[in-house]
Amino acid sequence: MASPRPVNHGNKNHDLDQIWDDLKQGIEHVYDRRGMSKPRYMELYTHVYNYCTSVHQQGQPSGSLSSSVRSSASSVSRTSSRNRQTGGANGNHNSGAQFVGQELYKRLKDFLHEYLSKLIEQGETLMGEDVLTFYTKQWEEYRFSSKVLNGVCAYLNRHWVRRECDEGRKNVYEIYQLALVIWKETLFEKLHKQVTNAVLKLIERERNGEMINTSLVSGVIGSYVELGLEDDDQNCTTTPNANAGLNQRQGPQLGTYQKHFEQQFLEDTENFYANESMEFLHQNPVTEYMKKAEQRLSEEHKRVELYLHDSTLQRLMKTCETVLIQKQLDTLHNEFRSLLHAEKKDDLGRMYMLVARLDDALGEMRDHLESHICAQGLAALEELGETGGNDPKMYVTTILDVHKKYNKLVLTAFKNDSGFVAALDKACGKFINNNAVTKAAQSTQKSPELLARYCDLLLKKSNKNPEDQELEDTLNQVMIVFKYLEDKDVFQKFYSKMLANRLVSHMSASDEAESSMIGKLKHACGFEYTSKLQRMYQDIGLSKDLNDEFKNYLREKQDTLPLDFQIQVLSSGSWPFTQCVEFALPSELEHSVNKFNEFYNTKHSGRKLSWLYNRSKGDIVTNCFKNRYIFQASTFQMAVLLMFNSNDSYRVGELAEATKLKMDILVQVLQILFKARLLVPPNGENEDDLTADTVVTFFKEYKNKKLRVNINVPLKAEVKQEQEQTHQVIEEDRKILIQAAIVRIMKMRKVFKHQQLVAEVLNQLAARFNPRVQMIKKCIDILIEKDYLERTEGQKDTYSYLA
Amino acid sequence: MPKVILESSDHETFTVEVEIAKMSTTIKTMLEDLGVNSVEGNEEKIPLPNVRGEILKLVIQWAQQHRDDPPLPEDDDSREKRTDDITQWDQDFLKVEQAILFDLILAANYLDIKGLLDVTCKTVANMIKGKTPEEIRRTFNIKNDFTPAEEEQIRKENEWCEEK
Repeated sequence: MASPRPVNHGNKNHDLDQIWDDLKQGIEHVYDRRGMSKPRYMELYTHVYNYCTSVHQQGQPSGSLSSSVRSSASSVSRTSSRNRQTGGANGNHNSGAQFVGQELYKRLKDFLHEYLSKLIEQGETLMGEDVLTFYTKQWEEYRFSSKVLNGVCAYLNRHWVRRECDEGRKNVYEIYQLALVIWKETLFEKLHKQVTNAVLKLIERERNGEMINTSLVSGVIGSYVELGLEDDDQNCTTTPNANAGLNQRQGPQLGTYQKHFEQQFLEDTENFYANESMEFLHQNPVTEYMKKAEQRLSEEHKRVELYLHDSTLQRLMKTCETVLIQKQLDTLHNEFRSLLHAEKKDDLGRMYMLVARLDDALGEMRDHLESHICAQGLAALEELGETGGNDPKMYVTTILDVHKKYNKLVLTAFKNDSGFVAALDKACGKFINNNAVTKAAQSTQKSPELLARYCDLLLKKSNKNPEDQELEDTLNQVMIVFKYLEDKDVFQKFYSKMLANRLVSHMSASDEAESSMIGKLKHACGFEYTSKLQRMYQDIGLSKDLNDEFKNYLREKQDTLPLDFQIQVLSSGSWPFTQCVEFALPSELEHSVNKFNEFYNTKHSGRKLSWLYNRSKGDIVTNCFKNRYIFQASTFQMAVLLMFNSNDSYRVGELAEATKLKMDILVQVLQILFKARLLVPPNGENEDDLTADTVVTFFKEYKNKKLRVNINVPLKAEVKQEQEQTHQVIEEDRKILIQAAIVRIMKMRKVFKHQQLVAEVLNQLAARFNPRVQMIKKCIDILIEKDYLERTEGQKDTYSYLA
Repeated sequence: MPKVILESSDHETFTVEVEIAKMSTTIKTMLEDLGVNSVEGNEEKIPLPNVRGEILKLVIQWAQQHRDDPPLPEDDDSREKRTDDITQWDQDFLKVEQAILFDLILAANYLDIKGLLDVTCKTVANMIKGKTPEEIRRTFNIKNDFTPAEEEQIRKENEWCEEK
């Protein structure tokens, strides 16, 4: 086979001197920014190529393949290069070719040095904007020219430079990088102080409201960033892929930018704003200052976006925030209080947005807010004065007004920040459970009672019942207050009592609203909390069916009752009603009651019906007056009135005898009938001084404009008694709840310290009420007595659980 | 599709699409550096003083065949290099005289066409694989200029890598 023919120039050894003159001319051409033709470019490239591929080795078989050909395909090439190295170290046997390029590299370096030294002379004396114009213009042009030079020297980069780098030589760069390094070493080193100062001056002028040529700044910044090239110790920067061209660094190295610009920039910023803040606050109110600060912060944000490096954003904002906000926190806090008083929502919102920028700086504002809301709530309730304790609607709406106002403030001005929400909650919890009204009543249980009474007002049939939607909204409002109640069990007791009354007397305004409210309570406090309420509700439904069944039963027996008869069967455990007082049913009603007892026994054997006569009522129709009146009367009243069918007057003793009512109750019943002008006491006698011998007479001249008259007014004693009972029941229920909690805890812990036990009981019951420690101790004693617990022997303050 | 005119060392001219020409990184870089991507100025020939017409024609042919190749992955020393992954088309294309093959390598190197450089070098590597030194010398017409002593020395140094 024939020896391969050499390529055109391949055989010539290209001495650097042969090509340098022409190459240098070309490069000068490039740096003079004169246009270049393609042939000229290729000529220069070929010069470099030929020089780098020329073979300087003696005795190299001419015409054989130049081994400077590099290909990734041949791992052979790698091994051979290592051999070359060791061979080179031995000084002999250097059969491979050299990678030629060092001398060219050195001359290029010298050329760039010389070129830039001349350039410095032009720029050295310039100041201010002139130096910036000079620097940015020269930089742009130099950068461009160097890219062309890099292209012309592509072969040098691909071969000699890369090989040097592979072998770990320091301070060898691809030509473009080399150009940057030299720029940095010479021109930058000489001029950067002037340039940086000029940039900072320019920025300061812009901060003072002047228009500036921002391209000068961004040009310099761009240059500083690009010059951050050799900060890491991987000095040799080449691109592993020769195809990839220039300037592929592993992410920007910002050292130069940070050291020669950013650091000083941040210091300047801090000084600038420290002065500005002080002066501005001297001459302007804090509210204006906040606007200014807000504006300054957004300006600085834009500044980074416009012409600085992104990495500065965080540090710059931090600097500004520190000097504009952190340093003025005391001033802001003072202002916060007066803004709260003046209810300046916008300013409060602005302050929040500013302070929220700092880490953990909102605490004091939250505290101020909490005490402010609490004070506002207390003041509003104190203003109600005496009426507060008697007007549930006024009481609750006053609370809601305060809550609504500050809830809105928290929502808008404080962006519903969780800390501020908590402050609102804490404040509401405080003033709702403990205020002038509760103090006047000497009971923290006043709040739940009033709220329950407000619910009763809303849900009871009246001429003021709101529309469905409005009612639903109001109930939701009620739930807001409910959330803050400490003694939720007290609320439950009152609520269930009032619900019972509404249900039994058919006074519910809307079934839908009733069950919606129960649903809300269940949602807030769980199934157990509303189970009794729900059962009461069920009983009413069941009773309806029961009445129908009773009617059918009578029809089958072909029996009829002499009057309309409706019953409600209420399970005694769920309803807050107490057993009936002694009473003898009038004979007119007896038959119906007996029939029902009979019916009920066939349906459920073993269930005992206790009749709640004091809750019963009926309509009584009169035939004795000019008009036919219908009286809505209690069973007691009926019993008394029916007696007058046979006689016009009775001694009180006779009435008591017949009805079996106790005197004190009978007296009250009679008093109500006196008031209704149906009965009259003997002439001249005080109706309060009734004795067994007083004679009461039926008043035949009775007149009333209305034909249907409600005389069923609750007995005074009953009302009072019930209220006392409610409180007593609450105490009893609490004891049971506490005991249950203790047993639950002890069952799990087996042995537990007193302090821990108390703490856990408090914790478990917090959602319902706040038990007094005294009461917990009492409950522990009860449980010890009942053999649920015992004091652990030999250990102080420790209990063990007895299974 | 804009075109450019390439001129070989022996003044043969080839009009090719810019996209084809740009498969040479050298030409691509030049076009970018000089900013001549527009249609005007295309009259200007691009002289390639290191490539003969005969070779340039082959290079263009190869480039046209491979115009849609995905870009080559970057060199990575940890990646295993193979020489048995030459496509059938390339194998047929490179069934040429040794001198032509070598000139193609030089042209690929000069023009910086990595794909072509890879495949030509692999072809040469395959010519070496599995041959004794004497056979290699014969294949490439190389005179043995080692003294027997030198040869013994080298054999010793390289003993570790010989197959046993």
